[in-house]
Amino acid sequence: MGRIARSLAVIVGAVIALSGCGLAIPADPHGTLDQVRDGSLRVGVSANPPWTDTHDDREPSGIEPRLVQRFADELNAEVEWTEGGESTLVSALERGELDIVIGGILDDTPWVDQAAMTLPYTDSTSEHGDRERHVMLTRMGENAFLVELERFLLGNGGVT
Amino acid sequence: MTARFGRTELPDRQARSLKRAERFEWLTLGYLAISIVLVYFVIGSSQAMKAAWIEDLLSLAPPIAFLVAIRIVNRRPTDRYPYGFHRSIGVAHLVAGVALFAMGTFLIVDSAIGLFRLEHPPIGSVQIFGQTIWLGWLMMAVMALTIPLPIYFGRVKMSLAKELHDKVLYADADMNKADWTTAVGTIVGVAGIGIGWWWADAAAALFIAAGILRDGVRNMRSAITDLMDTRATTFDGDRPHPVTAEIDTYLRALPWAAEVGSRVRDEGHVFHVESFIVPRHGRTPSLRKLREARDGCIELDWKVQDIVLVLVDELPEEVGGPVGDRQSERNR
Repeated sequence: MGRIARSLAVIVGAVIALSGCGLAIPADPHGTLDQVRDGSLRVGVSANPPWTDTHDDREPSGIEPRLVQRFADELNAEVEWTEGGESTLVSALERGELDIVIGGILDDTPWVDQAAMTLPYTDSTSEHGDRERHVMLTRMGENAFLVELERFLLGNGGVT
Repeated sequence: MTARFGRTELPDRQARSLKRAERFEWLTLGYLAISIVLVYFVIGSSQAMKAAWIEDLLSLAPPIAFLVAIRIVNRRPTDRYPYGFHRSIGVAHLVAGVALFAMGTFLIVDSAIGLFRLEHPPIGSVQIFGQTIWLGWLMMAVMALTIPLPIYFGRVKMSLAKELHDKVLYADADMNKADWTTAVGTIVGVAGIGIGWWWADAAAALFIAAGILRDGVRNMRSAITDLMDTRATTFDGDRPHPVTAEIDTYLRALPWAAEVGSRVRDEGHVFHVESFIVPRHGRTPSLRKLREARDGCIELDWKVQDIVLVLVDELPEEVGGPVGDRQSERNR
């Protein structure tokens, strides 16, 4: 038992020590949250009304752009919008050129191997009467940013 | 159910150990069922959690194999199975070994691909009782819960495996001992993700997989060599079983025996013994003397089963006789 107790003590000690050094858990390997805070939030929008609407000369509108704008405001960030198709946007997300991709994406999205999915933040009913759960995509493994976004979405739960 | 292995009625001490082993295997199954469900709900996209979960699933194999084998071994020998059903232990052992080996290989490849592709595992949050917390904390908590019991089970089963000379039980005890390393490895991997070391998770999974693979190779080798009738070894396969030497010493001390050599193979719990005896010149023993010699050997250890005494004019080569051509086939 001694060895196990020691190993556990080491782990607990290491975690406490690391959080003591001001290291937030979870952290972002690429530092997304740090770059967004007081900086810019790069959002990919694919048109999918009423969740997202894109216009040639104006900023995107719709439920999700409004949510993202409020999230950016909380982090004191400027939003940089990029419009495009889902697959182009997800590729850009993978390369680290975007921080979030929105577009009325559902939790059964095929992009789960390329992008991290937030918790479903709201439900809707499809025209066939199925329950649909809505998520946003963030860059793989940027967990601090992911958790921050999830906190915001769930805290502002539901869509108004 | 009378506690017995084939025709061998177990001595009280071993019978009690067998009952206890059975109880512990049932407890293990219950514990694993709970652990498998708990871990399933927090796997997320952690490779290490996945490896730990699969390890839990695989850990079901040895207890089930043991419980099934114990029932089969309990049968008496029949016309069709004149050697009894002892080998069912060997078969169970082999099945467990191959399962471990295959899964270890799969997990190593799977985790290595993840590392190679620089996959950054995303771990988000969960909502529990209205609170949003990072799933990683929950993963680590669940893994920490799975540490103490396997250690206890492993210790008890290890001593019972020794008592019963049961290699499936030994393999199981060994796996329980490996379980806590798996849990610690997973905690380290998830904590690694937590502080931004995306590779820590896959690395921890590789470490766990290597452990599973090692268990698989060791058990598979031990099961195969036993089925190949390797000489009987101690329950952990470390060294030749002392009972072989004891039998030889006992028989050699008989006044009518000149040279003695025994072949002993492990049938699962009990041994099949063939002792070759060269009688002293002109002193062929009577049937009564032979029976006394046989009973004397059985007294040495409860594992001595189906002992056959063979009178020969020259010992076979493998048990100490002179080197010669095609001698063993004739068992001279």
